[in-house]
Formats: sequence, structure tokens, C-alpha cells
Amino acid sequence: MTTVAVAPLRRWIRRAQVAHLERGERFGTFYFVILFVLVVGSMFWNRLHALVWPADPDTSALAGAALITVVAGGLYLALGRLGPLAISRPAASWLLTAPISRRRLLWPSFATTTAFAALTSAVATLALLGRAGPRPVPVTLVLTGALVGVGVLLVTVAAQSGGRWAVLLDAVVSLLLAAGLAGLVVDAAVGAPRLSGWPPAATLVTATGAFALVAGLFFVLAVRGLTRTPDDRILDASRTAGTLADSAFGVEPSWVADMVERRYWTHRKLRSAALNSRLPVLAAQDLRLALRRPRRLLWLLLASALPALLTHAPVWLLGPAVLVGTLLAAGTTAGNTRTDAANPVLLRMLALNSRRAITQRLLIPAVLAAAWGALALTWLELLVALPPGPWWALGLALGPVGAIAAVRRARVGFVNNALLPIDTPMGSISTGPALASVIGYDALLLGLPAIVLIATGTPLTWLGVATQLAFGLLGGRAYLAGTTDPERVELAKPT
Amino acid sequence: MIGAASVPEVTDHPAVQVDDLVVGYGSTPVLSGVRLLVPSGAGVCVTGENGIGKSTLLRCVAGLQRPDDGEIRVFGGRAGSTPDFWRAVVTTVEPPTWYPGLTAREHAELVCRAHGQDPSAAGIDDALDQFGLAGHRDAIPASLSSGQKQRLTLALALLRPSSLLILDEPEQRLDRDGRALVADLLAEYLKTGGSILMASHDDAFASSSGTEITTMESLS
Repeated sequence: MTTVAVAPLRRWIRRAQVAHLERGERFGTFYFVILFVLVVGSMFWNRLHALVWPADPDTSALAGAALITVVAGGLYLALGRLGPLAISRPAASWLLTAPISRRRLLWPSFATTTAFAALTSAVATLALLGRAGPRPVPVTLVLTGALVGVGVLLVTVAAQSGGRWAVLLDAVVSLLLAAGLAGLVVDAAVGAPRLSGWPPAATLVTATGAFALVAGLFFVLAVRGLTRTPDDRILDASRTAGTLADSAFGVEPSWVADMVERRYWTHRKLRSAALNSRLPVLAAQDLRLALRRPRRLLWLLLASALPALLTHAPVWLLGPAVLVGTLLAAGTTAGNTRTDAANPVLLRMLALNSRRAITQRLLIPAVLAAAWGALALTWLELLVALPPGPWWALGLALGPVGAIAAVRRARVGFVNNALLPIDTPMGSISTGPALASVIGYDALLLGLPAIVLIATGTPLTWLGVATQLAFGLLGGRAYLAGTTDPERVELAKPT
Repeated sequence: MIGAASVPEVTDHPAVQVDDLVVGYGSTPVLSGVRLLVPSGAGVCVTGENGIGKSTLLRCVAGLQRPDDGEIRVFGGRAGSTPDFWRAVVTTVEPPTWYPGLTAREHAELVCRAHGQDPSAAGIDDALDQFGLAGHRDAIPASLSSGQKQRLTLALALLRPSSLLILDEPEQRLDRDGRALVADLLAEYLKTGGSILMASHDDAFASSSGTEITTMESLS
């Protein structure tokens, strides 16, 4: 079969695309980006410098090792979710089906992601060395960090073409990530020793050189193997990239949430089972959804220890961190409410009024948020040594708050881009996306008693727990009264 | 039993009464002075070419679109978004967005339980079987073909109790056997006291479902 060269084709497409642009438009964009980086960089330079390169390294060897695992694992999972090899949607439609070299088609994507992985890893290594490494820091280690990033990318590229081993590797990396987070929590609790010194420079140079050699070899093999990347994986990745781009340009994060949800369930094999007859029907449905997401529940269980990482942060941050966690836990079943909010066709088929529907939709999220809150505050009590008191009960009392916040967030719907922007000295702020981004989180203010109780550092009393519970329950009642109607089926008020 | 109507309350009012309905999109009038009567326990099928306003009429009767003028009564009351209205009325005018992580059979069970029906007595499995979905009961509805989704939507609509079906081209995307089955079920629905208002391009289907055929032109 004749293979058509892709480079002239791409040049022609680029020329056709830029033909309608005004002269100097691309330079204008370039100028804006450079100016933006310089302005934002100068504003945050001091803080960034203090964060990456403090005067004295203050991070233990254990935390350093845990952070390496978290960064590498996070990079692997993120690159894997994005493809990593992707082409634009038009290219997927027109170039993927054309007789052109697959290797040349994928090369720009491969080169860009390689550079991204190397740069990200190098910056992360620099930050890690700055915080955990004894001074002076060997520069070769930054190069090693970049090579680790390239190595991670090469594994994800292989996994994109791979079979079952890729799924297993995904699970192993998730476990490593969890182990890394556990290491951080343990370090926050016990205060592990710091790194005392580096191996001799010659050893580091030899190791880095050897590593570069191996990475280079696998890089060449990966380039040769680009032709074997299956079309369906490339199409999946291009759809992901397209949805992310649409979401960014349209300032509409719900498109990404929909895509993630749809993709998750597409690959699951389910078996019908009777819904729990003792629960109200929508709560039974939510319970089924929650039980079908065991991995998410496991992550939530592990993540309940994460607020303990804020041991050295200002104490007022602990309460909000726990509250955000309850929202995320309660959000496990948010897909059902999101469906009802976006399209009430099934709600009409069920003929339940909106108040009854939302009351039922709050039940399972409340249980999840209460369990998460109780676990998180128990961990904090054990690891950070909160003052004595029934902290687990305060966590349980946060259940209604997390549930209201999660359901409110799930009902946010599409971003209203018709709202007028607000001009500030920093530039214009789009009101619609700004409002949409805080909806749901604003309901966490109902957890104000808990924030105060944690921040004051005094022993917790049952009166404090009762106050928080009353805030949550009254807030729930007000939320139902204000946003639902027993005489209306649809969740949204008619316009 | 699938295909059987369940009339919550005996009413002397017609199932649907439309008087002098006016609807337009911008400056383009779609419906002008439309009058329609569907007696309780009867079925009417509206036919007409594409773009003549059949779906718009059905959407207005279902309360999903506000007309510019005119009056619509459903069982003597106003079409609207109340739970009572949606307990009496089922419509397939708009396609559903399916719940995540819920199989086709579980969707059917959810609908039955929301209406206080015993899922095992409601005949869910029989209904899925009849609609050719027996092999897809464990499937996520979003992953079904468009024809299978249409069958599932109709199965859900006919499983739950109702007094009025508002259906927009229910024969669409169905094969010949599927059309015959749906027509039989709709005829059964009418026999048990239910009312039907539907739009269709298929006169044979409309006749075999027991509905009276009327053209959009004749309604103005």
C-alpha cells in the first residue's frame, strides 16, 4: 500500500488554518502568554521560591521517598488517563483513516508528551531536593528526575498499546500511590529522620549515565513501536483531549465529569440485582451505585487519613479540609442527581415530587459523609493529638453538611456564561464559571461550628457535637424548603 | 400487566382538549389556532409531514413547551410539572438520559417501585422479553443501540401505571416485529381504559394500535 508523507499534509492544513487569521494575531497570542507568565511569575516568585527551595531543608527522608512515589504514580495515572498519545479530533477523523505513516502521525504527540513528562519530573525533583536534600544538591539528580519522568511516559505509551498487564499495572501504581500517601501520613505523625548525605558524585554520574542509556534505548524502541498503537486507543485519547479542550474553551467542567462517568461505566460488566426494598427507592438506587464503585470507596477510606498531613499547617485549615473530604465522599452517588438535574425525563417517569426526590437523594451521601467525617477526625485525634472529646461523633454530625454540599454541587447544571463579567485590577473575571465553581462548596459553611471547634483547640463537648448536628439538620431543612417543591417534579425551578 | 392502563380516578373530562393553540419559533408560526380533542379512553394519532408541528403539539400537551396562546387541558386540569400530572401521563417526546451504573432491568425496577408496584408482580422480565431485551437486561442502557433504547423507553412507559400516553413516533427505529408488538400493546392499553395521543408517519401502525388518525392540517 502506498504511504503518503504526513509532514506536507500537516503543513498544508496549518497553512489553511492560519489563512483566516489576521496578520500578527499569532504574535499577539505569543506576546500575551509571555506577558502572563512574567506577571504571574513575578507575583508569586517569592512564595514559589520559599516553597521549592527553603533556607533549610525541612522534609524527612521518608516524606521525600513518599513524595517521589506520589509524584511518579500521579504522573503515570494522569498520562494514562490522557492517552498519553493523542491526536486532534479532526486528525482522528481524517488522518487516522488515511494511508499515512502511523509513526509520523503520532510523533508530534510523542515528542510533546516526552518533553512534558521530563520537564514536570525535573521541576518536581528540584522541589523535592530543595526541601528534603542536604545541601549542596548534586545537579545530576535533577537530570535523573527528568529521566524518571521519561521512563514513566514510556511505560504509559507501552500500556496504551498493551493488554491485560496494563490493567494490572494500573492497579499496582494505584497501590504505590496509596503507599506514598500513607508514608506522608506516617511521617506527619512520627517525624521521621532527615537525609544525612549523598553518595559520591562519581557514583551519581555513573548511575545517571547508565539510566540515560537505558532510557534512550527504550525511547528508540518506543518510537519504532508507535506503529503498533491500536486505533481505538488513539480515538479514545483524541476524544478525551477534545472534551478537555471543549471544557476549557467553553468553561464547562461538567463535560469532563460526564465523560469520566460514561467511560467508567462503559467498561464495567454489571449483573442486575433487586434494589434494597427497605430503603426509599432513590436511596436504594444510590446505594447500588455506591456499592458498584468499590475502588472509589477504598480510596475514600484511605484518604480519610490525609487531613493529618496538615499537622504543620495553620490549625484553622483542618476543619475546612475535613469538610471538603465529606463533600467528596458524599459525591460518590452524585451521578444520579446530576442526571436528574441535567435532564428530568426519568424523574417525570418516576413521578416523584422534587422534595421527596432530593430528600431521598440526600440519605446515602449523608451516610458516606458521616462515615468519612468520623474516620477523618478519629485519625486526626490519633495522629495530631486533638484535645479530648467525642471527635468521631462530630465527624458523624458532619454527614448532613457533606450531603447537602454534594447534592447542591451535583445540581449546579451548566455554567451560565450569559452573566456579566466583573472588571478587577487583575483583569476581567467571568461571573458564570466563578459562581459555578463555588456552588456546593458554599454549603460547607454549615460546618462552621466544626471548623471553630477544631480550631479553638479546646476539649470537645457533646454540646458542640449537638450544635453541629443542629446546623446540619436545620441547613438541610432550609435547603429542601428553598430549592424543592412538593408540587413540582423537576429539580430546577421553572424560568 | 404490561400494556394495561391504570386510571387513577374516573373523570368526566376528555383526556386532552386543545383550543386555539398558537406556537411560534421566533417570527415563524408553527401552530396557529390548533384544536384537538382526545376523549378519555380513546386514542388519536396525528400525522403530517416533517416540520408541520406534530412534536411541538405533543410537547405543549405534555407541558414541556409553553404555547404563545390558547388553552390546553389534560383530564380537565392544566398541563404542568406536578407529580399528579406525571402520575397520570407518560411521554416519550424527549429521550431520557439514563442513570449511571444502573442496568436496563434495574431501570425498570426503579420505575415500578417509584409507583408502588411490586417489581416481581409487575412483569418486568416479561416486558423486557416481549421487547426483545431479555439478552440485554444487564446492559447499561447508554450502551444499547438506538432501537433498543427506544424499546426500553416504551417498555418503561408501558410498565408503570398511567392514564394517558403521549408518544412521538413510537414506531421509529423499530423493526417490523417491534412495530407489531408495540401496536398490539397500545391497542391493549386503549382497551383497558387508557388514552393515547401520538404522532406517527406510519398509518398502518396507527390503525393497528387502535388510534384514530387525524392530520395536522385538519386541526387548524
